[in-house]
Amino acid sequence: MSVPALELNGLKKNFGKAEIIRGIDLSIGKAERHAIIGPNGAGKSTLFNLITARFPPSAGTVKLHGEDLTGLQPFEINRRGLSRSFQITNIFPKMTVFENVRCALLWAQGYKYSFWNFVNRSRKLTEGTEAILEQINLANRRDLPAGTLSYAEQRALEIGITIAGGANVIMLDEPTAGMSHSETDYITDLILKVTEGKTLIMVEHDMGVVFGLADRISVLVYGEIIATGAPEAVRADPKVQEAYLGAALEAEH
Amino acid sequence: MIDPVTDVKGARPDEQITTNPADASQRMRMQTPMIAVAPWVIAILVLLFLPLVFTNNSALTIMNQMSITIIFALAYNMLLGQAGMLSFGHAVYAGVGGFACMHIMNMTDFFASIPLVILPIFGGLFGMGLAMIVGSFSTRSAGTVFAMISLGVGELIAASSVIIVAFFGGEEGVSGDRTYAQPFFGVEFLQQIEVYYLTAAWVIVSALLMFLWSRTPVGRMANAVRDNPERAEFLGYSSRWVRFYSFVASGFFAGIAGGLFAINYEILTEENLNTTSSGVILLVTFLGGVGFFFGPIIGAVVFTLVQTVLSLQTELWAFYAGSLFLATVMFFPGGLAGLLMMHVPVFKLGKAGHLVMPYIKTLIPAAIGVLGLAALVEMTFHYRHAATGDNEMTVFWTTFDSHTLLPWLIAGAITIIGLGIARATAPDLKEAWNEANTAGGGA
Repeated sequence: MSVPALELNGLKKNFGKAEIIRGIDLSIGKAERHAIIGPNGAGKSTLFNLITARFPPSAGTVKLHGEDLTGLQPFEINRRGLSRSFQITNIFPKMTVFENVRCALLWAQGYKYSFWNFVNRSRKLTEGTEAILEQINLANRRDLPAGTLSYAEQRALEIGITIAGGANVIMLDEPTAGMSHSETDYITDLILKVTEGKTLIMVEHDMGVVFGLADRISVLVYGEIIATGAPEAVRADPKVQEAYLGAALEAEH
Repeated sequence: MIDPVTDVKGARPDEQITTNPADASQRMRMQTPMIAVAPWVIAILVLLFLPLVFTNNSALTIMNQMSITIIFALAYNMLLGQAGMLSFGHAVYAGVGGFACMHIMNMTDFFASIPLVILPIFGGLFGMGLAMIVGSFSTRSAGTVFAMISLGVGELIAASSVIIVAFFGGEEGVSGDRTYAQPFFGVEFLQQIEVYYLTAAWVIVSALLMFLWSRTPVGRMANAVRDNPERAEFLGYSSRWVRFYSFVASGFFAGIAGGLFAINYEILTEENLNTTSSGVILLVTFLGGVGFFFGPIIGAVVFTLVQTVLSLQTELWAFYAGSLFLATVMFFPGGLAGLLMMHVPVFKLGKAGHLVMPYIKTLIPAAIGVLGLAALVEMTFHYRHAATGDNEMTVFWTTFDSHTLLPWLIAGAITIIGLGIARATAPDLKEAWNEANTAGGGA
């Protein structure tokens, strides 16, 4: 069996005495689309932040393609091929849409901290940026400051920034939060398109999106994964129904 | 004396893209390199011919001071505008660069073997070296922590000027003689005009290098880190290293400015290091506008004029400079450059003509009112501070007795009427402004 794209072993996080993440073991294979669901306060975003080293874990390890990420900074993890978006839109609001995407390409194209290259002289950089803009359908917005885009467009831009660097493990934190139905459909299609062949890990509340996208689902409740498996199996799991889905489905009716 | 201002303004309107880049103009730039080069050519021509217009030595001194301030302010804006780092102690990098150059001037044998024109490079290297040391611990975060460390380090180094006398020369500073350098194509820099061209050459080279820096990957990422350091980290860049490189580059150019100061004045003292100097450069940069590459240039020109020309007219020049700064911060946070660039959309819509009359109707009375207010300030100052019996004073070429009622009434009336008319016509101006910024309609 090949090395999983992402592997969590006994991952724990305490804030003081509060145990937010209480020992998570999870293995996500290459090119798998994995959704993490769970009620509010289950620790989904915290789990994301532990994986990407926004917070250090209290115990346990995270392995990316078999490599232990303990002690690495976010930028070092990103360079190893893991990219993420944020629950709250996290872009460069004062820079143009084009510039936002271009910044996401700089490291991937090997520019590092150089001060002997000029960004507007590189055709590869400009073309790469334009290709991403095409993919996320923002080509006609390229010269606007990113902060002036509509909410859905900003979310699309954030996905664009997240995938631009060519990372093969993409983590999306509630990509459709706060969107209308049509916007949600649009973003779902976009995610399917741009994560083709990549490993996708997403936190999502919208069950339509989750069951439409995910190969496998993990259900996180009070810092523990109570079920992992194919969508149908998870839906049928009585524990899940009791803890989460039942309540959520009832609430929808 | 107004010419430099208009020239610099006129030279750069299409340079807006540096810290708020619109790539449309960048594409245009790639297609038509002429447009990109034009502001620099104009700037070079202006610098070449200015001494033919302003020939006397004091004008040359003012222009040199302007050039030095331009380099320093642009270097400062590499931090403030482009990387979002507020430094309260940036004078030390210019100062240490300047002191280093003074010491090189005093190393007779070595100094005699190098041409004076390259001396500022040593200033730059020393400024950069200090920035590398300080930056290694101060750039961990932006915001308050960075600001406080910069203030602390600034105070520390300024205080050590009286302790480390060997380097800073104690209270009398360090002085030297620039003419001991190796003659540069026969030029010994005895005359002010020769120093002017040396300084002018350095201002062009430094400004160009700083502009180009902003187009490099590390320069672009400085903007990204300024806007959102966390996001930048998840794009593979360490915010800290991006800040460090910006800081070091800024220290280098600040050191160049210090070296030019050394050449021009041939003396450096504690004044070149202290927090007042650091505060002034913050003021200059903000006044000009941090959002545009050319902003600090305008700030440096305007501030130097206020500092030199206005200070000949009134002892209260710093009061007026402070008021100007305050008004800028409160009403035009984009600075003078932002104020200019606000008009670009109006020109693009072809509606600039619609603004001329409203501007005249509001701004001229406002200017008269402000002058009236300035007269009141001057009269109050004279009334309180002139020697007893010295009741005569001159304001705006008018001599009168400051202890009689009539002048006060006149100045007061001018102030009230001027500002009153401005206030009454302001809504019309606002309406005209909104109209001019709306596409279509009208005309």
